[in-house]
Amino acid sequence: MEKKQIDELIEKYNEGLADPSEVQMLEHLIESGIVDLTQLRELQLLDKQFQSLATPTPSLRLDDQFYAALAREKRDSTTRRISFPSWSTLFPRLAVAAVLMVVGFSAGYFLQSPHQQAEVSQLTNEVSQLKEMIMLSLLEKESASQRLKAVSLTSDMTQASEKVTDALLVTLNQDENVNVRLAALEALTPYVKQSEVRARLIESIQVQDSPLVQVALAELMVAIQEKKSVDAFRQLLERESTPKEVKTKISESIKILI
Amino acid sequence: MVKVKDGDLDKLGLLFERYKRPLYGFFYGLNREPELSEDLVQNTFLRIMKYRHLFRGESAGRADGGDFRAWMFHIARNVNYDHHRKNKVKASEDLEHWQHRIGHDENLSSEIQQREEQTMLLQALDRLPADKREILLLSKFEEKKYSEIGIVLGCSEGAVKVKVFRALQELKVIYKQLERIN
Repeated sequence: MEKKQIDELIEKYNEGLADPSEVQMLEHLIESGIVDLTQLRELQLLDKQFQSLATPTPSLRLDDQFYAALAREKRDSTTRRISFPSWSTLFPRLAVAAVLMVVGFSAGYFLQSPHQQAEVSQLTNEVSQLKEMIMLSLLEKESASQRLKAVSLTSDMTQASEKVTDALLVTLNQDENVNVRLAALEALTPYVKQSEVRARLIESIQVQDSPLVQVALAELMVAIQEKKSVDAFRQLLERESTPKEVKTKISESIKILI
Repeated sequence: MVKVKDGDLDKLGLLFERYKRPLYGFFYGLNREPELSEDLVQNTFLRIMKYRHLFRGESAGRADGGDFRAWMFHIARNVNYDHHRKNKVKASEDLEHWQHRIGHDENLSSEIQQREEQTMLLQALDRLPADKREILLLSKFEEKKYSEIGIVLGCSEGAVKVKVFRALQELKVIYKQLERIN
Protein backbone atom coordinates (compact mmCIF):
# COMPACT_ATOMS: atom_id res chain seq x y z
CA MET A 1 0.00 0.00 0.00
CA GLU A 2 1.37 3.38 -0.97
CA LYS A 3 1.92 6.19 1.46
CA LYS A 4 -0.78 8.29 -0.10
CA GLN A 5 -3.35 5.55 0.32
CA ILE A 6 -2.30 5.06 3.93
CA ASP A 7 -2.63 8.78 4.64
CA GLU A 8 -6.10 8.73 3.07
CA LEU A 9 -7.08 5.77 5.20
CA ILE A 10 -5.86 7.51 8.36
CA GLU A 11 -7.71 10.69 7.40
CA LYS A 12 -10.87 8.70 6.76
CA TYR A 13 -10.57 7.02 10.14
CA ASN A 14 -9.98 10.33 11.91
CA GLU A 15 -13.12 11.72 10.30
CA GLY A 16 -15.04 8.67 11.59
CA LEU A 17 -15.82 7.52 8.08
CA ALA A 18 -13.86 4.26 7.94
CA ASP A 19 -15.87 1.10 7.39
CA PRO A 20 -15.12 -2.17 9.25
CA SER A 21 -12.90 -3.54 6.48
CA GLU A 22 -10.88 -0.33 6.48
CA VAL A 23 -10.54 -0.49 10.26
CA GLN A 24 -9.29 -4.03 9.88
CA MET A 25 -6.75 -2.84 7.34
CA LEU A 26 -5.71 -0.11 9.70
CA GLU A 27 -5.20 -2.69 12.45
CA HIS A 28 -2.93 -4.63 10.13
CA LEU A 29 -0.91 -1.48 9.41
CA ILE A 30 -0.64 -0.74 13.14
CA GLU A 31 0.49 -4.26 13.90
CA SER A 32 3.19 -4.17 11.25
CA GLY A 33 4.38 -0.78 12.56
CA ILE A 34 3.54 1.20 9.41
CA VAL A 35 0.92 3.32 11.14
CA ASP A 36 1.58 4.70 14.60
CA LEU A 37 -1.17 5.10 17.17
CA THR A 38 -0.21 8.77 17.54
CA GLN A 39 -1.39 9.37 13.96
CA LEU A 40 -4.98 8.58 14.96
CA ARG A 41 -5.98 12.02 16.14
CA GLU A 42 -9.19 11.43 18.01
CA LEU A 43 -7.98 8.30 19.70
CA GLN A 44 -4.89 10.17 20.74
CA LEU A 45 -6.96 12.88 22.40
CA LEU A 46 -8.87 10.28 24.32
CA ASP A 47 -5.66 8.45 25.21
CA LYS A 48 -4.05 11.67 26.35
CA GLN A 49 -7.06 12.35 28.57
CA PHE A 50 -6.86 8.84 29.95
CA GLN A 51 -3.11 9.06 30.52
CA SER A 52 -3.53 12.35 32.35
CA LEU A 53 -5.96 10.87 34.89
CA ALA A 54 -4.26 11.29 38.22
CA THR A 55 -3.01 8.09 39.75
CA PRO A 56 -4.71 7.39 43.05
CA THR A 57 -2.53 7.17 46.12
CA PRO A 58 -2.60 4.16 48.43
CA SER A 59 -3.02 4.75 52.16
CA LEU A 60 -0.28 4.41 54.76
CA ARG A 61 -1.72 1.01 55.68
CA LEU A 62 0.02 -0.39 52.61
CA ASP A 63 3.38 1.02 53.72
CA ASP A 64 2.94 -0.42 57.20
CA GLN A 65 2.05 -3.85 55.89
CA PHE A 66 4.86 -3.92 53.37
CA TYR A 67 7.63 -2.78 55.70
CA ALA A 68 6.48 -5.23 58.40
CA ALA A 69 6.66 -8.04 55.84
CA LEU A 70 10.06 -6.84 54.64
CA ALA A 71 11.42 -6.80 58.20
CA ARG A 72 10.11 -10.35 58.75
CA GLU A 73 11.74 -11.55 55.55
CA LYS A 74 15.06 -9.91 56.45
CA ARG A 75 15.02 -11.53 59.88
CA ASP A 76 14.17 -14.93 58.40
CA SER A 77 16.83 -14.73 55.72
CA THR A 78 19.46 -13.78 58.34
CA THR A 79 18.45 -16.78 60.45
CA ARG A 80 18.69 -18.97 57.39
CA ARG A 81 22.15 -17.63 56.65
CA ILE A 82 23.60 -18.35 60.11
CA SER A 83 21.92 -21.71 60.52
CA PHE A 84 23.91 -24.93 60.22
CA PRO A 85 24.42 -25.80 56.56
CA SER A 86 22.04 -28.46 55.34
CA TRP A 87 23.23 -32.03 54.94
CA SER A 88 22.79 -31.78 51.19
CA THR A 89 25.36 -28.96 51.00
CA LEU A 90 27.62 -30.36 53.70
CA PHE A 91 27.83 -33.91 52.37
CA PRO A 92 29.59 -33.15 49.05
CA ARG A 93 32.14 -30.99 50.88
CA LEU A 94 32.84 -33.69 53.45
CA ALA A 95 33.13 -36.27 50.69
CA VAL A 96 35.62 -34.12 48.79
CA ALA A 97 37.63 -33.53 51.99
CA ALA A 98 37.73 -37.25 52.76
CA VAL A 99 38.75 -38.16 49.23
CA LEU A 100 41.52 -35.55 49.27
CA MET A 101 42.79 -36.88 52.58
CA VAL A 102 42.89 -40.47 51.33
CA VAL A 103 44.59 -39.38 48.10
CA GLY A 104 47.15 -37.39 50.11
CA PHE A 105 48.00 -40.27 52.41
CA SER A 106 48.20 -42.79 49.58
CA ALA A 107 50.37 -40.46 47.52
CA GLY A 108 52.70 -40.01 50.49
CA TYR A 109 52.83 -43.75 51.09
CA PHE A 110 53.43 -44.78 47.49
CA LEU A 111 55.82 -42.00 46.67
CA GLN A 112 58.10 -43.05 49.49
CA SER A 113 60.98 -44.68 47.58
CA PRO A 114 62.70 -47.91 48.74
CA HIS A 115 65.92 -45.94 48.72
CA GLN A 116 64.53 -43.65 51.44
CA GLN A 117 63.43 -46.61 53.54
CA ALA A 118 66.91 -48.09 53.29
CA GLU A 119 68.40 -44.79 54.37
CA VAL A 120 66.15 -44.64 57.42
CA SER A 121 67.02 -48.16 58.56
CA GLN A 122 70.69 -47.49 57.98
CA LEU A 123 70.48 -44.38 60.17
CA THR A 124 68.66 -46.33 62.89
CA ASN A 125 71.40 -48.92 62.84
CA GLU A 126 74.08 -46.29 63.06
CA VAL A 127 72.39 -44.65 66.04
CA SER A 128 72.11 -47.92 67.96
CA GLN A 129 75.73 -48.76 67.17
CA LEU A 130 76.71 -45.35 68.48
CA LYS A 131 74.72 -45.94 71.66
CA GLU A 132 76.41 -49.29 72.17
CA MET A 133 79.79 -47.71 71.69
CA ILE A 134 79.03 -44.99 74.23
CA MET A 135 77.71 -47.57 76.67
CA LEU A 136 80.76 -49.80 76.36
CA SER A 137 83.16 -46.90 76.76
CA LEU A 138 81.22 -45.58 79.79
CA LEU A 139 81.38 -49.00 81.47
CA GLU A 140 85.15 -48.71 81.50
CA LYS A 141 85.07 -45.43 83.41
CA GLU A 142 86.35 -45.25 86.94
CA SER A 143 83.37 -43.35 88.23
CA ALA A 144 80.59 -45.60 89.47
CA SER A 145 77.96 -43.05 88.43
CA GLN A 146 79.31 -43.11 84.86
CA ARG A 147 79.08 -46.88 84.82
CA LEU A 148 75.50 -46.63 86.17
CA LYS A 149 74.67 -44.29 83.35
CA ALA A 150 76.16 -46.81 80.91
CA VAL A 151 73.96 -49.57 82.30
CA SER A 152 70.85 -47.37 82.14
CA LEU A 153 71.57 -46.59 78.48
CA THR A 154 70.57 -50.14 77.57
CA SER A 155 66.96 -49.38 78.52
CA ASP A 156 66.78 -47.07 75.46
CA MET A 157 67.83 -49.90 73.17
CA THR A 158 64.99 -51.81 71.57
CA GLN A 159 67.14 -54.86 70.99
CA ALA A 160 70.56 -55.07 72.56
CA SER A 161 73.29 -56.93 70.72
CA GLU A 162 75.18 -59.85 72.10
CA LYS A 163 78.07 -57.53 72.75
CA VAL A 164 75.87 -55.44 75.06
CA THR A 165 74.47 -58.38 77.05
CA ASP A 166 77.98 -59.73 77.33
CA ALA A 167 79.23 -56.41 78.69
CA LEU A 168 76.34 -56.31 81.17
CA LEU A 169 77.09 -59.86 82.40
CA VAL A 170 80.77 -58.96 82.85
CA THR A 171 79.70 -55.86 84.80
CA LEU A 172 77.37 -58.02 86.93
CA ASN A 173 80.20 -60.37 87.80
CA GLN A 174 83.13 -58.03 88.03
CA ASP A 175 82.10 -54.49 88.90
CA GLU A 176 83.35 -53.41 92.26
CA ASN A 177 80.26 -51.29 92.99
CA VAL A 178 77.16 -53.17 94.26
CA ASN A 179 74.78 -50.59 92.86
CA VAL A 180 76.26 -50.93 89.41
CA ARG A 181 76.00 -54.70 89.65
CA LEU A 182 72.35 -54.45 90.74
CA ALA A 183 71.65 -52.06 87.88
CA ALA A 184 73.32 -54.48 85.46
CA LEU A 185 71.15 -57.33 86.76
CA GLU A 186 68.04 -55.18 86.28
CA ALA A 187 69.19 -54.23 82.78
CA LEU A 188 69.62 -57.92 81.92
CA THR A 189 66.07 -58.84 82.99
CA PRO A 190 64.51 -58.17 79.51
CA TYR A 191 66.98 -60.65 77.97
CA VAL A 192 66.37 -63.62 80.30
CA LYS A 193 64.56 -65.41 77.49
CA GLN A 194 67.93 -65.90 75.81
CA SER A 195 69.27 -69.25 77.04
CA GLU A 196 72.84 -67.95 76.90
CA VAL A 197 71.94 -65.10 79.25
CA ARG A 198 70.09 -67.45 81.61
CA ALA A 199 73.00 -69.82 81.79
CA ARG A 200 75.43 -67.06 82.56
CA LEU A 201 73.10 -65.62 85.21
CA ILE A 202 73.11 -69.03 86.94
CA GLU A 203 76.90 -69.06 86.78
CA SER A 204 76.89 -65.59 88.28
CA ILE A 205 75.18 -66.87 91.48
CA GLN A 206 78.42 -68.54 92.51
CA VAL A 207 80.47 -65.46 91.71
CA GLN A 208 78.47 -62.98 93.74
CA ASP A 209 79.64 -62.08 97.22
CA SER A 210 77.22 -59.19 97.85
CA PRO A 211 74.11 -60.30 99.81
CA LEU A 212 71.98 -57.73 97.91
CA VAL A 213 72.95 -59.14 94.54
CA GLN A 214 72.54 -62.70 95.77
CA VAL A 215 68.98 -61.97 97.01
CA ALA A 216 68.16 -60.11 93.76
CA LEU A 217 69.39 -63.07 91.73
CA ALA A 218 67.33 -65.46 93.87
CA GLU A 219 64.20 -63.36 93.27
CA LEU A 220 64.89 -63.23 89.54
CA MET A 221 65.35 -66.99 89.30
CA VAL A 222 62.04 -67.53 91.11
CA ALA A 223 60.35 -65.03 88.80
CA ILE A 224 61.58 -66.83 85.67
CA GLN A 225 61.14 -70.25 87.27
CA GLU A 226 64.70 -71.31 86.43
CA LYS A 227 65.08 -74.73 88.08
CA LYS A 228 68.63 -75.14 86.85
CA SER A 229 69.65 -72.48 89.31
CA VAL A 230 68.82 -74.70 92.35
CA ASP A 231 72.21 -76.38 92.40
CA ALA A 232 74.02 -73.08 92.35
CA PHE A 233 71.89 -71.83 95.24
CA ARG A 234 72.51 -75.00 97.27
CA GLN A 235 76.24 -74.43 96.89
CA LEU A 236 75.72 -70.91 98.12
CA LEU A 237 73.83 -72.24 101.14
CA GLU A 238 76.73 -74.49 102.01
CA ARG A 239 79.19 -71.62 101.90
CA GLU A 240 79.98 -70.26 105.30
CA SER A 241 80.49 -66.72 104.23
CA THR A 242 76.90 -66.45 103.06
CA PRO A 243 74.91 -64.30 105.53
CA LYS A 244 72.10 -65.92 107.46
CA GLU A 245 69.37 -63.70 105.99
CA VAL A 246 70.54 -64.57 102.50
CA LYS A 247 70.48 -68.26 103.34
CA THR A 248 66.87 -67.96 104.57
CA LYS A 249 65.86 -66.19 101.36
CA ILE A 250 67.68 -68.72 99.20
CA SER A 251 66.04 -71.59 101.05
CA GLU A 252 62.60 -70.11 100.37
CA SER A 253 63.49 -69.67 96.73
CA ILE A 254 64.70 -73.24 96.41
CA LYS A 255 61.43 -74.46 97.91
CA ILE A 256 59.45 -72.46 95.36
CA LEU A 257 61.59 -73.61 92.49
CA ILE A 258 61.39 -77.27 93.45
CA MET B 1 16.31 -5.69 41.57
CA VAL B 2 19.54 -7.53 40.83
CA LYS B 3 20.79 -6.44 44.26
CA VAL B 4 17.55 -7.64 45.86
CA LYS B 5 18.06 -10.96 44.13
CA ASP B 6 21.57 -11.12 45.59
CA GLY B 7 20.19 -10.69 49.10
CA ASP B 8 20.13 -6.91 49.60
CA LEU B 9 16.52 -6.74 50.79
CA ASP B 10 16.79 -3.04 51.69
CA LYS B 11 16.73 -2.29 47.98
CA LEU B 12 13.27 -3.83 47.78
CA GLY B 13 12.08 -0.89 49.88
CA LEU B 14 13.30 1.45 47.11
CA LEU B 15 11.47 -0.56 44.46
CA PHE B 16 8.34 -0.50 46.59
CA GLU B 17 8.52 3.27 46.93
CA ARG B 18 8.99 3.63 43.19
CA TYR B 19 6.27 1.30 42.01
CA LYS B 20 3.63 1.18 44.73
CA ARG B 21 1.59 3.96 43.17
CA PRO B 22 1.57 2.71 39.57
CA LEU B 23 0.73 -0.76 40.88
CA TYR B 24 -2.02 0.60 43.09
CA GLY B 25 -3.36 2.61 40.16
CA PHE B 26 -3.35 -0.54 38.04
CA PHE B 27 -5.24 -2.59 40.62
CA TYR B 28 -7.57 0.25 41.45
CA GLY B 29 -8.33 0.77 37.77
CA LEU B 30 -9.23 -2.90 37.53
CA ASN B 31 -11.15 -3.35 40.76
CA ARG B 32 -12.25 0.03 42.05
CA GLU B 33 -11.74 -1.05 45.65
CA PRO B 34 -9.13 0.85 47.63
CA GLU B 35 -8.49 -1.73 50.33
CA LEU B 36 -8.49 -4.66 47.97
CA SER B 37 -6.09 -2.79 45.68
CA GLU B 38 -3.74 -2.16 48.57
CA ASP B 39 -3.88 -5.83 49.50
CA LEU B 40 -3.11 -6.82 45.94
CA VAL B 41 -0.12 -4.44 45.84
CA GLN B 42 1.07 -6.04 49.08
CA ASN B 43 0.58 -9.55 47.63
CA THR B 44 2.49 -8.58 44.49
CA PHE B 45 5.47 -7.42 46.54
CA LEU B 46 5.28 -10.50 48.76
CA ARG B 47 5.54 -12.65 45.64
CA ILE B 48 8.45 -10.54 44.37
CA MET B 49 10.13 -11.08 47.74
CA LYS B 50 9.43 -14.80 47.70
CA TYR B 51 10.44 -15.42 44.11
CA ARG B 52 13.26 -12.87 43.88
CA HIS B 53 15.72 -15.63 42.99
CA LEU B 54 13.72 -16.28 39.81
CA PHE B 55 14.23 -12.76 38.45
CA ARG B 56 16.42 -13.13 35.38
CA GLY B 57 18.08 -9.74 35.75
CA GLU B 58 18.20 -6.66 33.64
CA SER B 59 19.14 -7.44 30.06
CA ALA B 60 22.17 -5.76 28.53
CA GLY B 61 21.60 -2.17 27.60
CA ARG B 62 18.57 -1.82 29.88
CA ALA B 63 19.40 -0.04 33.06
CA ASP B 64 16.00 1.66 33.32
CA GLY B 65 14.41 -1.15 35.29
CA GLY B 66 12.15 -2.02 32.37
CA ASP B 67 12.69 -5.73 32.79
CA PHE B 68 11.76 -5.49 36.43
CA ARG B 69 8.65 -3.48 35.66
CA ALA B 70 7.53 -6.02 33.07
CA TRP B 71 8.20 -8.83 35.55
CA MET B 72 6.36 -6.94 38.28
CA PHE B 73 3.27 -6.35 36.12
CA HIS B 74 3.36 -9.96 35.03
CA ILE B 75 3.18 -10.96 38.70
CA ALA B 76 0.54 -8.28 39.35
CA ARG B 77 -1.73 -9.72 36.66
CA ASN B 78 -1.39 -13.17 38.18
CA VAL B 79 -2.14 -11.81 41.65
CA ASN B 80 -5.27 -10.12 40.32
CA TYR B 81 -6.33 -13.21 38.42
CA ASP B 82 -5.76 -15.48 41.44
CA HIS B 83 -7.74 -13.15 43.68
CA HIS B 84 -10.75 -13.11 41.37
CA ARG B 85 -10.61 -16.81 40.77
CA LYS B 86 -10.67 -17.43 44.51
CA ASN B 87 -13.23 -14.85 45.45
CA LYS B 88 -15.19 -14.36 42.27
CA VAL B 89 -15.68 -10.79 43.29
CA LYS B 90 -17.18 -8.51 40.72
CA ALA B 91 -15.57 -5.19 40.21
CA SER B 92 -17.43 -2.54 42.11
CA GLU B 93 -19.09 0.17 40.18
CA ASP B 94 -18.46 2.69 42.89
CA LEU B 95 -16.85 5.60 41.17
CA GLU B 96 -16.80 7.78 44.21
CA HIS B 97 -13.74 6.04 45.56
CA TRP B 98 -11.72 6.88 42.50
CA GLN B 99 -12.98 10.41 42.48
CA HIS B 100 -12.23 10.68 46.16
CA ARG B 101 -8.74 9.33 45.73
CA ILE B 102 -7.69 11.42 42.80
CA GLY B 103 -9.17 14.40 44.56
CA HIS B 104 -6.12 14.42 46.84
CA ASP B 105 -3.79 15.10 43.99
CA GLU B 106 -5.87 17.49 42.03
CA ASN B 107 -6.01 21.16 42.16
CA LEU B 108 -9.37 21.84 43.79
CA SER B 109 -9.88 24.87 41.64
CA SER B 110 -9.78 22.86 38.41
CA GLU B 111 -12.58 23.49 36.03
CA ILE B 112 -15.87 21.75 36.57
CA GLN B 113 -15.95 20.72 32.94
CA GLN B 114 -12.66 18.93 33.20
CA ARG B 115 -14.01 17.13 36.25
CA GLU B 116 -17.08 16.07 34.35
CA GLU B 117 -15.00 14.82 31.47
CA GLN B 118 -12.85 12.81 33.78
CA THR B 119 -15.87 11.35 35.53
CA MET B 120 -17.30 10.35 32.20
CA LEU B 121 -14.04 8.84 31.10
CA LEU B 122 -13.89 6.80 34.30
CA GLN B 123 -17.47 5.66 33.75
CA ALA B 124 -16.56 4.66 30.23
CA LEU B 125 -13.52 2.79 31.52
CA ASP B 126 -15.66 0.87 33.97
CA ARG B 127 -17.96 -0.23 31.17
CA LEU B 128 -15.06 -1.49 29.13
CA PRO B 129 -14.49 -5.27 29.17
CA ALA B 130 -11.85 -6.31 31.73
CA ASP B 131 -9.19 -7.32 29.17
CA LYS B 132 -9.47 -3.96 27.35
CA ARG B 133 -9.39 -2.03 30.60
CA GLU B 134 -6.31 -3.99 31.59
CA ILE B 135 -4.42 -3.21 28.39
CA LEU B 136 -5.14 0.51 28.77
CA LEU B 137 -4.01 0.47 32.39
CA LEU B 138 -0.85 -1.36 31.44
CA SER B 139 -0.11 1.17 28.71
CA LYS B 140 -0.59 3.95 31.25
CA PHE B 141 1.50 2.45 34.02
CA GLU B 142 4.14 0.97 31.79
CA GLU B 143 4.45 4.36 30.14
CA LYS B 144 3.47 3.11 26.70
CA LYS B 145 6.40 0.72 26.47
CA TYR B 146 4.57 -1.65 24.16
CA SER B 147 7.43 -4.13 23.91
CA GLU B 148 7.43 -4.34 27.71
CA ILE B 149 3.67 -4.90 27.75
CA GLY B 150 4.25 -7.59 25.14
CA ILE B 151 6.49 -9.39 27.65
CA VAL B 152 3.80 -9.12 30.34
CA LEU B 153 1.06 -10.43 28.07
CA GLY B 154 3.19 -12.85 26.13
CA CYS B 155 2.55 -11.38 22.69
CA SER B 156 4.32 -9.23 20.11
CA GLU B 157 4.69 -5.46 20.26
CA GLY B 158 2.49 -5.13 17.16
CA ALA B 159 -0.23 -7.26 18.79
CA VAL B 160 -0.11 -5.01 21.87
CA LYS B 161 -0.57 -1.94 19.67
CA VAL B 162 -3.61 -3.49 18.03
CA LYS B 163 -5.05 -4.38 21.45
CA VAL B 164 -4.53 -0.79 22.62
CA PHE B 165 -6.11 0.48 19.40
CA ARG B 166 -9.18 -1.71 19.86
CA ALA B 167 -9.50 -0.77 23.53
CA LEU B 168 -9.27 2.94 22.78
CA GLN B 169 -11.75 2.55 19.99
CA GLU B 170 -14.27 0.88 22.24
CA LEU B 171 -13.60 3.41 24.99
CA LYS B 172 -14.34 6.16 22.52
CA VAL B 173 -17.65 4.55 21.55
CA ILE B 174 -18.75 4.22 25.19
CA TYR B 175 -17.57 7.73 25.96
CA LYS B 176 -19.61 9.14 23.09
CA GLN B 177 -22.66 7.27 24.32
CA LEU B 178 -22.24 8.72 27.81
CA GLU B 179 -21.79 12.17 26.34
CA ARG B 180 -25.10 11.85 24.56
CA ILE B 181 -26.87 10.67 27.75
CA ASN B 182 -25.48 13.52 29.78
